[in-house]
Amino acid sequence: MKIRRKYLFYALAFTSAIISAVVSAIDATIITRYITNPWTFGVSCFIVGTLISFFIILFFSIPIRGKSIGTRIIDPSFRRLRLFRKEELKYHILAGFGNSLLTIGYFFLLKNFEDPSTVLPFSLISILYLVAIESIVEKNMPTLIEVQSSLIVTFGAILGSISLTGTISLEALAIVFIVISPAWVLFSIYQRKLKLLKIDKKPNDALNIRFWNVVFSCLFVVIIVGMYDFVFEENHILSGITASIEHFNWIALTMGVTFFAYVFYIRALGIGKASVTQAVRASTVLFAIPFSLMLSYFNIIPPFSTDPTMILIKMIGTVLVILGIVSFALTLFKAYIFINVKPGCSIEQTMNEIWNIHGVTRVAATAGPYDFIVKIRTRTLVKGYERIIRKIEEIKSIKNYKWESVLKEWEKI
Amino acid sequence: MINAYILITMSPGNAENAIKEMRKIENVDKISIVAGEFDIVVRVHVKTLDKLLKVTNELQMINGVKKTTTQVIEKELAL
Repeated sequence: MKIRRKYLFYALAFTSAIISAVVSAIDATIITRYITNPWTFGVSCFIVGTLISFFIILFFSIPIRGKSIGTRIIDPSFRRLRLFRKEELKYHILAGFGNSLLTIGYFFLLKNFEDPSTVLPFSLISILYLVAIESIVEKNMPTLIEVQSSLIVTFGAILGSISLTGTISLEALAIVFIVISPAWVLFSIYQRKLKLLKIDKKPNDALNIRFWNVVFSCLFVVIIVGMYDFVFEENHILSGITASIEHFNWIALTMGVTFFAYVFYIRALGIGKASVTQAVRASTVLFAIPFSLMLSYFNIIPPFSTDPTMILIKMIGTVLVILGIVSFALTLFKAYIFINVKPGCSIEQTMNEIWNIHGVTRVAATAGPYDFIVKIRTRTLVKGYERIIRKIEEIKSIKNYKWESVLKEWEKI
Repeated sequence: MINAYILITMSPGNAENAIKEMRKIENVDKISIVAGEFDIVVRVHVKTLDKLLKVTNELQMINGVKKTTTQVIEKELAL
């Protein structure tokens, strides 16, 4: 099937956001009714999560008429469950460490601060951290529009999910800003790197990436909680294992659903920037509203605030998130540049010079009337001129070039 | 595997139907409508040169396609 890449990206990110909203409702039910200790819940989640993820990926590895179920319905890049490759190991370690740190930070907050719901929405600041990191490590510098849209979505999501029932403490905010958000950045950046890796010259698949991330995260969580237990003479590992057995069905449900939320998130990460993906996924605060209403109706969580000021704040937040996402969607230009090189100049060297230009996403050396076909991506045409055309004109080996703006595009998925 | 760009010039008024036909061709990976010297840029992914010829032929048979220029990719860098 060939669809527009932009549609696929938003479909994946929104699907992940909707599933995440379902997960947060299930988690709220479990932590309120069944496993009240957050550390125990965290440990049991990863133990059961590893097991359930294994069975899910095994099911999706079953071949039907030459193609596995996973290839047909979840990720076309997926073949079957496989061991991670040597080149993936460091990324899995870093992403797993990020995920475990994020989880531990989150549970530390739940355990040590009564009602951290006022500070938790600030973890969405990770979108801005991602924008900053991308501008440093990737050759894709964020444009003013990306920074503006990220800010709009971040603050909108904070307003949309904020609760005034708790109190803001500096320690709790420090955990959010220094532990949770950077850990989420580490997790997202390396999940994206894994998705962009080529395995046997084919794109890496989201199912194996998620499965191995759960395995590595489980390993790190057990190590960190084990050390905590040893130092403070507590017993969360054992209580986590007991809770895994006693409440297996509930934990399997939440981790099974989470598996799909992350598989779609990872697929979206393979198409868009981590910051943009995370910004679109922040729409989960909107999708969570009906679930919160349902949970408060059944008295699982405190009643939904009917204070007009709070409702107004949440409405402003919702409008900001929608505006930010629309702004991301409407401000991306793509173009092809067809290039001829002067006789006697090195193709390899010219190729590297073109590749080093910000905004170039693909350079193909070709046989035919043109020596290079270059694909570029820019948020504004002005930036396209300033960052790309000017740089191309500076390359001495280029004889001539033709710019062809892409008006509409379809891609095989 | 062989990857190639096929640059297509169309006769006016046929783009919509031509795109519909192109989306049905199996080895076509990407179709871009562009503004400039060409009208459509198609990226194909085939196993052999024979298959590339087959795809080019299929594209040329589409109503409204005036001219095709094939650029076979020799080396590629991509994000």
